[in-house]
Amino acid sequence: MVIRSNLDPARGVGMAAFFAGFVPGLLQWQLGQKSRAMMAFASCTALFFAGWVIVGERLFYWSLLSPDTSNSFGSTVLQGLASIGLPIALPELLNLPANALGSILAFDVTPMGERAWRLPRDFEHVGAFLTGASGMLSAFWAAAGHWDLRLRRDGGTPEPVPSANPALCAAISWLVPGLGHAKAGQKDKGMLMGAAVLAVFALGLLFSHGHAVDRANASVWWIAQNLFGGGSLFAALMTGPLRMEQAPPHLDLGVILCTVAGLMNLVVMIDAFTVAERSVFPVQKPTEAAS
Amino acid sequence: MNLLFRLGVYVVVLFLIAIVVVGQHHENARDTLRAVVGRTGRWIVWSFVLVAVMLGLEIVCIGW
Repeated sequence: MVIRSNLDPARGVGMAAFFAGFVPGLLQWQLGQKSRAMMAFASCTALFFAGWVIVGERLFYWSLLSPDTSNSFGSTVLQGLASIGLPIALPELLNLPANALGSILAFDVTPMGERAWRLPRDFEHVGAFLTGASGMLSAFWAAAGHWDLRLRRDGGTPEPVPSANPALCAAISWLVPGLGHAKAGQKDKGMLMGAAVLAVFALGLLFSHGHAVDRANASVWWIAQNLFGGGSLFAALMTGPLRMEQAPPHLDLGVILCTVAGLMNLVVMIDAFTVAERSVFPVQKPTEAAS
Repeated sequence: MNLLFRLGVYVVVLFLIAIVVVGQHHENARDTLRAVVGRTGRWIVWSFVLVAVMLGLEIVCIGW
């Protein structure tokens, strides 16, 4: 174990590295890992366009702030941003190059174009999941780059080997909550935390009769729900396409519970990263640090 | 009955959230579960305090 940097375990690797994380593979390229960099860029871009061919301009409708044609100052600014490829669609924004290219190709601010944003597509739930997953994948590649930078800065020689790659632990926790903990060596705790996330998500789907996770109808809530990728994928394949004849009585409760489950899984992902990180950089208790 | 249903869901979800929050400070499931019970209890007490304060403010500002 290496304990060089434990007195300041939260020290980051700088703003430049943070912004470089928005371009998949850029951090790996800077680290000299050329093949990993190309793999990161290719995987994120392929995932984005696999979904984009289905949803296309629908992404503008699902943006956090939709660049519609109303005459307000805010809409004009958003239209300007969208026309150069910067619609505020989350989590797609985390995969900046593909998101920019996709929006430049699809942006059309005429009434006909705007109408197309609102038209539902076949398989749009799957397409929406794929474009969103490309943003999450980009974030995990960025986390991997940050981890390698941290190892290079604080790891010393020979470079220490963690119990598992922290970014990989976070990524698999996105799909299956708790699996990252199991990989990092805390199997029972991972199962407990994973079961908690799954239970809240399942309660949400139960109360809403399966309509809680639906990007087409509740796109802002979906941003947080998608932080539990396995649940979001399940909803995209199984419950999203279900037709809603009448709003279930507890739809709001279901939407909130699935959103809470997504936010809980964000904590689980960060903890999985931290557990693996601390296998190399343990945090000393204040009394140990003082002595 | 409706209030009981809501309270039931609230307590269960509070317990599940506490598992994730408390789990960050422990290394295994047994220690986590032991700490979760106390944490959920404290959160329930704070919830009642919050509701009481809001009710008090409502009575003061709007009236009974």
